[in-house]
Amino acid sequence: MARKSKKQAEPANAQPIPKPNFGWMGRSNQWGTRVKPGKHGLRLGDLNVGIYGEIPEQWQDQTRNPRGAIPRKGVPPVGYPVRDKADLWADSAADLYEEAIQRRWAPATDIPWKSIKPLNEVSERAVCQVMTELSQYANCDIETISNWQHQMAYGYHEVKQYLATASFDSARMYEAFRKRALCNGGGLGLEAPGYVNRMILESRGGWSEAVTYLLLMRGTFMQTMLRYLEKYAHNEAERAIYGFALEAKARQMSYGLEHLQYSLAHDEERRSVMETLLFIGDRVWARELKDHVLREALAIVFAGGLDKAASEGMQIHKAMMTDCMQSYVDTCAWLGLPRNLEMMPPRITQYLVAARG
Amino acid sequence: MSAAENAEPLNLDWLDRQGEWGSDANPGKQGLTLDDIQIGTYGEVPDESDNMTGRPRGAMARAEAYRIGGYSVRSKQEIWLDNASFLYEEALQRQWSSATDVPWDSIEPLPDDIEQAECELATFLTEVEFVAGDVPSRWVAQMTPDYFEPRNVLLAQVMDEARHMDVFRKRALANGGGLMSATGGTAGVVGSIDLSRDFTEMSSRLHISGEGAVLTIFRMGELMAYNEAEKAMYRLCAQDEARHVAFGVMHMRYMAETAPERREEIECYLDEAERQILAGSQNPAGAQTESSQSLAILLGGGIDQYDEGIRKLMAIRRRQLTEYQKRVRSSGFGERFDNGRSPIHEMIAANAA
Repeated sequence: MARKSKKQAEPANAQPIPKPNFGWMGRSNQWGTRVKPGKHGLRLGDLNVGIYGEIPEQWQDQTRNPRGAIPRKGVPPVGYPVRDKADLWADSAADLYEEAIQRRWAPATDIPWKSIKPLNEVSERAVCQVMTELSQYANCDIETISNWQHQMAYGYHEVKQYLATASFDSARMYEAFRKRALCNGGGLGLEAPGYVNRMILESRGGWSEAVTYLLLMRGTFMQTMLRYLEKYAHNEAERAIYGFALEAKARQMSYGLEHLQYSLAHDEERRSVMETLLFIGDRVWARELKDHVLREALAIVFAGGLDKAASEGMQIHKAMMTDCMQSYVDTCAWLGLPRNLEMMPPRITQYLVAARG
Repeated sequence: MSAAENAEPLNLDWLDRQGEWGSDANPGKQGLTLDDIQIGTYGEVPDESDNMTGRPRGAMARAEAYRIGGYSVRSKQEIWLDNASFLYEEALQRQWSSATDVPWDSIEPLPDDIEQAECELATFLTEVEFVAGDVPSRWVAQMTPDYFEPRNVLLAQVMDEARHMDVFRKRALANGGGLMSATGGTAGVVGSIDLSRDFTEMSSRLHISGEGAVLTIFRMGELMAYNEAEKAMYRLCAQDEARHVAFGVMHMRYMAETAPERREEIECYLDEAERQILAGSQNPAGAQTESSQSLAILLGGGIDQYDEGIRKLMAIRRRQLTEYQKRVRSSGFGERFDNGRSPIHEMIAANAA
């Protein structure tokens, strides 16, 4: 690397140019890095070579120093409270970031809106009620992720970047659900009770706590619901909305569960804290499940109308809840947090007991 | 749920507790856009939002719902702009991938001084993009969803900035170089973008002056690019940055029209921005910084042509200042350039070759 400039020639007709010191030249923690694009282009994860791929357990630097760059002394800290790897990391973050970009979608043009035909009024009201509650779930995603993302240190930029795609995906969901509610002679419905939303937003114990509630608990519920809604969609537009939302939610879940797994493996205290969080969270979730509004709206959608909603629709709803709760306890067990069904609220375990019985 | 419970008739009371009925938005030639769904009460944006439960605008409120939204931005004039829906839809249509939309194979080894300059500039721009992603993210979490249109634009910006940060890191590590010295120019300065306690204050610094200055640099990308990859990188970043700047201009224009009582306060933000952001180390073309020296090397064609590069850089600075002036005039605060309050004329003159 060259270190200093040669003396600069000064044209006679120009103002004098201040002499540069070029003190920054020749200063790099690692020079000679040449990352080549592969068959999927030049991906974020490809850059993790040499010191640029060294991801420390703790990132003490509270400035915006890019990982691997030479920090400048004396820079006042910006203040990043989340700077332990165990509090945010997932190895898949860089890949999920690139995947989210490759699978980008636009609700305005990628949903075949014209495939939507008028439904009978009760069915339309049920769809609109479901869209209203899904909008609030997406809103909770946005508020929660955005609240934490800017508090994360730049030593872990892969996670911050993935989360930028995650909140943008939720913005698309929010938009698509709203558009569906307003495009077929209907409107928005009754707002959700909000107990679980509050619990998620009030996760004061850190990002991992927020992930537990937002992705392990709500995420499992929303993902299962989207799967069933996709199956019972009235038209191609709804199927596309649920399909895109499912892809985005699957990425969020991949990140979330891998993060929790990493966190549990690297923080000895975390297991007992998470057990308590799940104990509390189950009860809040059970309270929200008492609300009949979403349950009935889903039953009407699943039954294709009001006539069979109480029978067939509720049976499908029950199957959905069984899938959801089974997935939830299975995931907890996979994370090393096996659930004792006797300690869980009956409103949750009833679905599991019924399935086993 | 027991079989007996299943057999119970549905309650269905919620069927009579829904928002306005009969909305029939139709897709146009650009699909079904956010503008298309601004119909009836769903298109009525309140001047003040009393929505503390996070319900979608126009949904029926539940009397028993908890007040969970700790929203500090609940006034339309604090956040609104008239073309937010357009900017958001455009952002969705113009998303790009730094992995596959930049022709990385076009990069060939460069002389050492050029590569170093490129890497120092990329290091600096990575830092800059950190600010532009973090700060909007913090504000998004504080906004009532009643103003979801501008919020969605800011979420698109957070996404854009993540991609910008990523593309400059990629450039630094793609051609035999590496990251170099961080400048620290984006932290801790009094009056910095981070320290803004008000959204408009933040937007005036981030969108109008900060990103405006960077936009001019990106638009000059052809002059400092050494291969097709760099040209593509600057061009794609410029199109995103132009949206972010437009957000700031349109928001400030809305503010000028609806909150004349805040005019003097906003003038003070602009005073500060002109003294610090445009002139200081947060501006890649600012005087005698690592990034400005890098730019001069790139613009001149090497360290031996540094003086020539500086002359080109001074032309870019003049352009930055002229474009800034146009933006501020467009946002309704142009008087400051005519009444002697702004030092921009002197700054332009000081950068005359």
